[in-house]
Amino acid sequence: MTTLTPSRPAFAPSNYLTHSRGVLSWAMTLDHKRIGIMYLLGVLGSFLLGGIFALLVRTELIWPGQTIMTADQYNRAFTLHGAIMVFLVIIPSVPAALGNFVLPIMLGAKDVAFPRLNLGSFYLWVLGAVLAVLAMLSGGIDTGWTFYTPYSIEADRQGVIWVASAVFILGFSSIFTGINFIVTIHRLRPQGMTWFRMPLFLWALYATAVIQVLATPVLGITVLLLMVEKVMGIGIFDPSLGGDPVLFQHFFWFYSHPAVYIMILPAMGIVSELISVHSHRHIFGYRFIAFSSVAIAIFGFLVWGHHMFASGQSPLMNALFSMITFSVSIPSAIKVFNWLATMYRGRISLNTPMLYGLSFIFIFTIGGLTGIPLGTLATDIHLHDTYFVVAHFHYVMMGSALIAMIGGMHHWWPKMTGRMYSETAGRIGAIGVFLGFNFTFFPQFMLGSLGMPRRYFDYQAGFSQDLTELFHVYHFLSTLGSYFMALAFFWTAGYLLHSLFRGERAPANPWGGASLEWKCSSPPPHDNFAEQPAVGDCYDYDQIEWDEAAKGYRFRENYTPAAAH
Amino acid sequence: MTATILGSTAAMLAQLAPFRSDDAAGRTFWLPPGVSSEAAQVDWVFYLIYWICLFFFVLVVALMVLFAWKYRRTRAGTWAPGPTHNTPIEVTWTIIPLLLVIVIFYVGLKGYVNLIEVPANAYEVNVVARKWTWEFRHRNGATEANVLKVPRGQPVRLTIQSDDVLHSVFIPAFRIKQDAVPNRTTYAWFQADRAGTYQLFCTEYCGTQHSSMTAMVLVLEPEEFERQIAADAAWIDQVPEEQLHMAGFRLFARCASCHSLDGRRLTGPSFWETHDKWGTSQTLEAGTGTVSRVVDENYIRDSILIPQQDIVPTYPRSMPSFQGQLKARELDALIAFIRRLDEVVDRSGKPVSGVN
Repeated sequence: MTTLTPSRPAFAPSNYLTHSRGVLSWAMTLDHKRIGIMYLLGVLGSFLLGGIFALLVRTELIWPGQTIMTADQYNRAFTLHGAIMVFLVIIPSVPAALGNFVLPIMLGAKDVAFPRLNLGSFYLWVLGAVLAVLAMLSGGIDTGWTFYTPYSIEADRQGVIWVASAVFILGFSSIFTGINFIVTIHRLRPQGMTWFRMPLFLWALYATAVIQVLATPVLGITVLLLMVEKVMGIGIFDPSLGGDPVLFQHFFWFYSHPAVYIMILPAMGIVSELISVHSHRHIFGYRFIAFSSVAIAIFGFLVWGHHMFASGQSPLMNALFSMITFSVSIPSAIKVFNWLATMYRGRISLNTPMLYGLSFIFIFTIGGLTGIPLGTLATDIHLHDTYFVVAHFHYVMMGSALIAMIGGMHHWWPKMTGRMYSETAGRIGAIGVFLGFNFTFFPQFMLGSLGMPRRYFDYQAGFSQDLTELFHVYHFLSTLGSYFMALAFFWTAGYLLHSLFRGERAPANPWGGASLEWKCSSPPPHDNFAEQPAVGDCYDYDQIEWDEAAKGYRFRENYTPAAAH
Repeated sequence: MTATILGSTAAMLAQLAPFRSDDAAGRTFWLPPGVSSEAAQVDWVFYLIYWICLFFFVLVVALMVLFAWKYRRTRAGTWAPGPTHNTPIEVTWTIIPLLLVIVIFYVGLKGYVNLIEVPANAYEVNVVARKWTWEFRHRNGATEANVLKVPRGQPVRLTIQSDDVLHSVFIPAFRIKQDAVPNRTTYAWFQADRAGTYQLFCTEYCGTQHSSMTAMVLVLEPEEFERQIAADAAWIDQVPEEQLHMAGFRLFARCASCHSLDGRRLTGPSFWETHDKWGTSQTLEAGTGTVSRVVDENYIRDSILIPQQDIVPTYPRSMPSFQGQLKARELDALIAFIRRLDEVVDRSGKPVSGVN
């Protein structure tokens, strides 16, 4: 081998990290990769903050009665935990952080369609985050992340205005990213990449972007109305002025239910990549997976009322919403079966990203299946607003969406940083997060079905003795689990940071992926590709071969794909 | 007569102290005992879903573990050929879950219809939710805070209202839940089939004392129920004048979520704090500045009926008005209770000897 193989990265002056230097070169960058990295740092910082609040909440509940804080402090802690995790962490985590980095490269493009809008949406995110943090420092809010009226419009809750402004601004950040992705996918696909040749992650991001653009404006209007109600008293939600507090719930969930799919769809997209690449086998049922993303995006708009079965809305509405809710479960089931079929007769490498992928399947199966008794009217009446719901949505939003995000981070870490992390440390971290997560949240299913309501500071005052004892056991287990999970996350942060400085140089294609991002060097050059790469079937692994010199894979030269199976 | 007061006071105490409920008997791993006529059906739906879900969960995880082990990569640089799709199989695993969820939706809807169709002969109790007490008003005028007495074996309709923010009535043993919405009346019904003591929770977040906004459901034999309700309706008028402060102890239930009897600072001042200032002058925050008022009968009366007028410094403006909620004599009893607090309870909130 006399020529330098293209898969052996030069890791020198030519990559996006070293393209230009100085703080301003980052602050004013239009490079989607740098914007993605800045988002990632912001999201991870927020995750730490939201995680600290989570640990405070769990610690308070370890014993009945007051443990480390007062009821008012507890109410602030769980509100901030929820608001930070939803608006600052999970919603931007996959699309804005990983999506920004990966999407244009997967398309073989140099950048997103609107690089300036992209930077603008990042700064809107920063502004929203700063406002939210300021609101916290100035006393915080205690309404829960849902801001239900009329509690949130009571006079002594002025902090709501600040947080609502923050949510309004964050909403625009999300909308701009969505528009950018939609246009990028429509306009910047290279020659030969038809819709059904796109990596499934792009289908997921596309479906997500459509929800972001269509649903987020409703959230904007809702929090705007909330602010107007608080400042001017127009009487739209305030019952003492003839308003309807339940109307707020309709508006709120019209966004916030689709928002669940903003969180989970891109996560499913990541898992489709992880399972196929690390099973070294063509994804099974590409079209079913792609269409199921679209189906979830559409049905996701029609089910918001299932958050309101006990709110006093009419029984007919309850029946209709329950029925449509079940329609979402089908495309989710299809994805799980297709992932399993992809693994069937694969060549499965159980490395860190794959372990996160398998964690996702395990946890999402529980999260999805426990949605069934919540969508069923007779059982939801009992389970609504208990810890069963808390456990269910943590299985979906944290155990699925965030775990997939962390799996994706490990999958593309070599690409983003040009470094490999320790595989052993990574596997230990993945198993630790998986165990810690289940240890934390599984007991909450029993808590809830046995009757423990959510958002409770205490389970002693006015409680019967036997319920206090029973709830204590499960709360105690859950809190221990949360400490264990926190340790696993710190471990993960530790070896990832270590890899930045001491990690081995990453090859262009460490896992054997066949989508376009593995064609450019790790880290990618500023413009991603010198010339537009040729597009093949991104799940056809016959086009990949092992390159011993690079300790990675490379695309075969002059490869002609076999006839379609 | 004294015995009645003492009896009711004992019930009151049972509620203040953590009580032992009948929620323990017949509890399963997943569900609390089902005591209402509809509980069996709800539980049946729950377990139907549970077994279906468990089957699919085990199937998915077993296949995942099996594949991950059996098809693990043993030699680097190899990849797997194989079919990229199989439409009949994929359609099959779309149709089967679809059929299953249609069945689940149907049984869930049926159970729900039974949960909302109130039988015509139901006994009606008006429920008023207010930060952070439950008030239960019976048709004969008997009104009690945080204790809901109902007859066994008879349908009971709860007509639910809220005076301030959203609350929600949740009685796990009866498998019912219904939000209380200001400016709107909602309802729920149940028929309790076993006498006993069950827990009622507030399940819609309502602020500081949300987790203390609980109540006790007492399911009584029908004759016993009739007897107690009749006594409850008239008891305050039968209390002898010199026992009025004792009667205040029973009424204290509706104050207990914000005011303590052991000196602890809750949302509002402890009754001991108020009692100790009796007859002295204290500075209060009025709307525009501070005022000085003597702590006496008039002050307590105003604090209960127009609580937003003057606020004890450092406490939040949280107390709702009890205008129209209390009979004149109940108000007198509460005032007497605070004034003569040392004759009813000691500094730790325990009744002084001789009270019961």
